[in-house]
Amino acid sequence: MGSCYSAPIGALSTTLDKTFFALADPTRRGILEQLGGGPATISQLAAPFGLTINGIKKHVAVLEVADLVVTQKVGRTRECRLGSAGLREATDWIERYRAVWDLRLDRFGRFVERTTRGGA
Amino acid sequence: MSRSLSYERLIHASPEQVFDAFTSPAGQRELYGQDDPGWIVESICDLRVGGTWSISFGPAPGQLYHHHNVFEEIDRPHRLRMSTTEIRLDGAPLVFDVEVTFAARGEATLMTMTQSGFPTDALRDEHAIGVPTTFDNLERVLTGSPP
Repeated sequence: MGSCYSAPIGALSTTLDKTFFALADPTRRGILEQLGGGPATISQLAAPFGLTINGIKKHVAVLEVADLVVTQKVGRTRECRLGSAGLREATDWIERYRAVWDLRLDRFGRFVERTTRGGA
Repeated sequence: MSRSLSYERLIHASPEQVFDAFTSPAGQRELYGQDDPGWIVESICDLRVGGTWSISFGPAPGQLYHHHNVFEEIDRPHRLRMSTTEIRLDGAPLVFDVEVTFAARGEATLMTMTQSGFPTDALRDEHAIGVPTTFDNLERVLTGSPP
């Protein structure tokens, strides 16, 4: 029980921070949505947003740091595709967070019933 | 997919008793407490709309987590609504809304806590196409449904 209580906020790791930071920007969410349809080059990603190559590269770099996007050089272009490590960590963190609150409420419920002698 | 985390507990006491326990120093110490020797819970609660409820808890003075709530609605014994900020050990905040309802169920009370505003909306809305398995897991976690 102790380990669960000490886990909740400390478990919000830097990777998870990066995930949420990356998702806060609508352009980056748009990039991810576009990559949901399949891999794309930097140029292909830039076109729908009207951004320069350098502009889209900056967004892709943020997504890459958060493990939401993986890039690979293919010939003279850089191909981007979805990664999922960041999302997995977000899911794991929420699971742990829920477990902590389950324990807290179980404890609180027992306390109320003990102090009110089992009923109204 | 739900945008929130929700918890329910059926507690064998009246809504007034559960509400009062939830907002009392003893109940708050119990909520954040644990049996480890030396475990610290410090709770200061100003139960009024606009008032704050601050909790610090952890294994040692230098290892405390801090939760800061601002009461936005108080309807004893039916409902509480708060804006919550949880501060990590490194000082980074996590901000969301909390609603707690207390509904009579015979001689017991169904206490429901809903935490909403997690930064998972973006995950849900923008990523479901590309990472379906992950989002299935996320939905299961958020809704409490079985795998």
